Amino acid sequence: MATLVQPRPSEPNEPVQRPNIATAGNRLPGVRDYEQVDRDIIGTLRPTLGWFAALGIAVLCLLIGISAWTYQIHEGLGAAGYHPPVMWGVYIITFVFWVGIGHAGTLISAILYLFRAGFRTTIYRCAEAMTVFAVMTAGLFPILHLGRPWKFFWLIPYPNWRLIWPNPKSPLVWDVFAILTYLTVSATFFYVGLIPDIAVLRDQETNPVRKRIFAALSLGWRNSDREWRHFTRAYLFLAAFATPLVLSVHSVVSFDFAMALTPGWHATVFPPYFVAGAIFSGIGMVFTIIIPLRKYFGLQHFVTINDLDAAAKLCLFTSMVVGLAYLTEFQVAWMSGNRVEQEYFWNRVFGQWAWSAWIMLICNCVLPLSLFSQKLRRNTTWLFILSLFINLGMWFERFVIVVPSLSHEFEPWQWGGYAPTWVDYSILLGSFGWFFMWFLLFMKQLPIMALAEIKEIIPPKMREPHDPAERVHDLDTLTLDPINTAGDD
Amino acid sequence: MQGVIGAFAELDSAVHAIEDLRKQNFGDITVYTPTPRHELEEAMQPPKSPVRRFTLVGGLLGVTFGYWIPIWISDYWPLVVGGKPVASWVPYTIIGFELMVLIGSLSTVFGMFAVSRIPRLTLTVGYDGRFSHGDYGIWVPAGPDRMAAAADLLRKHGALEVRNER
Repeated sequence: MATLVQPRPSEPNEPVQRPNIATAGNRLPGVRDYEQVDRDIIGTLRPTLGWFAALGIAVLCLLIGISAWTYQIHEGLGAAGYHPPVMWGVYIITFVFWVGIGHAGTLISAILYLFRAGFRTTIYRCAEAMTVFAVMTAGLFPILHLGRPWKFFWLIPYPNWRLIWPNPKSPLVWDVFAILTYLTVSATFFYVGLIPDIAVLRDQETNPVRKRIFAALSLGWRNSDREWRHFTRAYLFLAAFATPLVLSVHSVVSFDFAMALTPGWHATVFPPYFVAGAIFSGIGMVFTIIIPLRKYFGLQHFVTINDLDAAAKLCLFTSMVVGLAYLTEFQVAWMSGNRVEQEYFWNRVFGQWAWSAWIMLICNCVLPLSLFSQKLRRNTTWLFILSLFINLGMWFERFVIVVPSLSHEFEPWQWGGYAPTWVDYSILLGSFGWFFMWFLLFMKQLPIMALAEIKEIIPPKMREPHDPAERVHDLDTLTLDPINTAGDD
Repeated sequence: MQGVIGAFAELDSAVHAIEDLRKQNFGDITVYTPTPRHELEEAMQPPKSPVRRFTLVGGLLGVTFGYWIPIWISDYWPLVVGGKPVASWVPYTIIGFELMVLIGSLSTVFGMFAVSRIPRLTLTVGYDGRFSHGDYGIWVPAGPDRMAAAADLLRKHGALEVRNER
């Protein structure tokens, strides 16, 4: 005998449940039924003037980046401001930055899925798309960093004409395996989750060409019990694989630094420090994307303030882990008795690079402490502003890791400075253009929220009368709760 | 294939119809649902999904391949440093792990496709676009002698629409 959601007789004097207040039985009280899920979310696919304007700006930024890269290929890498001792600069900083951004997607979609964290349901599709596009962006930077970018395939592990293979003990070879695996698995996870939603688009599409495209992309999915049974198992196993992968990828990226005998880099704290930082920066970018989207498309009843509140707590937690990692670095340098290490950290905070270190500390450790306040956690304007500071702070974290170490190594004659040129800044801007161009194209072709998974948390229609808390949906006649909508302007 | 398709707006009606159909020995019924529901799964009592076997085999193949490649490379062009073993399993664990995840994940997806019988070029007889939107569908394969009985049973449980399909 199947277990059904138990009907409950309605009581006339029972207080009316207000919308936007999640209950055990109803996480999205503002969403009436499955049809509304499809209507509201598929409605976001219609291109608008604002969308065209945003796409235009993104493409313009990309063109600026491409022009700068063309100039750099012609002039050589010196155009990018590299000179001894600092031979890693904006490109490696931005590579690590985008790989980090790419972490939150899989964290939200896989790790929070395994933990059954309900708040992920409405934000994970955006976060997954963000992951795929961020890793695509990150993958450009090792190529941009090459003097001869057309030889990029030399990075791939295969033997040369003398049958010598790349050294498998090198962190750069590990990087290739880690990043390519992460890109492939994230893209697969993203696509598999999309299949049932593309089937919805296929069934609702009236344009025959688009219908055919959706039919091909949905692989003939028809929502049968057999398909769902295998789909849910496969999704669970993919999540189980993706979870340690998230932790491993940024650990491997951290080995690029930690394996080198350079002051400030050669530390065992690097893998957890990088992973926490990556998750922190990724959540920052999720806020940067999701808050304007829910406002622009009026999706406040899907991405509720409760969801943002929960994500903000995760942000606060990872910020504190990152802060602890910063302090650990200082403590290890202090206790090491190694003068070079101690001088390096002094130089980082009070010397040549103090300005960048303080931007990092204020953006990543001080400002996020505001999230201890529930009022600020539920204020979308503040969350958006904070997310911009987090993005800035996390870029500067990578700046602080890369540049001060290289410019302040063991011998004073090795010491030097570094100033990015207009080529660096243009390519950095171009990377944002590239990322947002893909994201904007995605959001007009495919649903930005997971239709099937949202339907899973909507109480299904029942023949028998059931819990009145699940029946009250008339938004016009009800007042929204002030706490639950604070900041929801 | 011949049979009857019934569309239901309510989950409980669909569940009761499935239970009744199973009691009446209507064999290999298929349920269409816009989202996975445990109520339907309990009513259908399906066997365990074999996807996990693909995951296990893919993962084991991946980790084996991931260790084998760097060990083979090291042995092929040995660089002996300080008399240490040429193959160093600790750093090779990274490659082993990454390939375990890569091949394990891809084989999981391949397994899901294989056992779900997708990609499919044409939609099955009886499928209706409303089943991805909001309604539940029950497809009952039945010969001409049992079609009427199946249709009556679906209507009795509140089907919005019942159609004979072939």
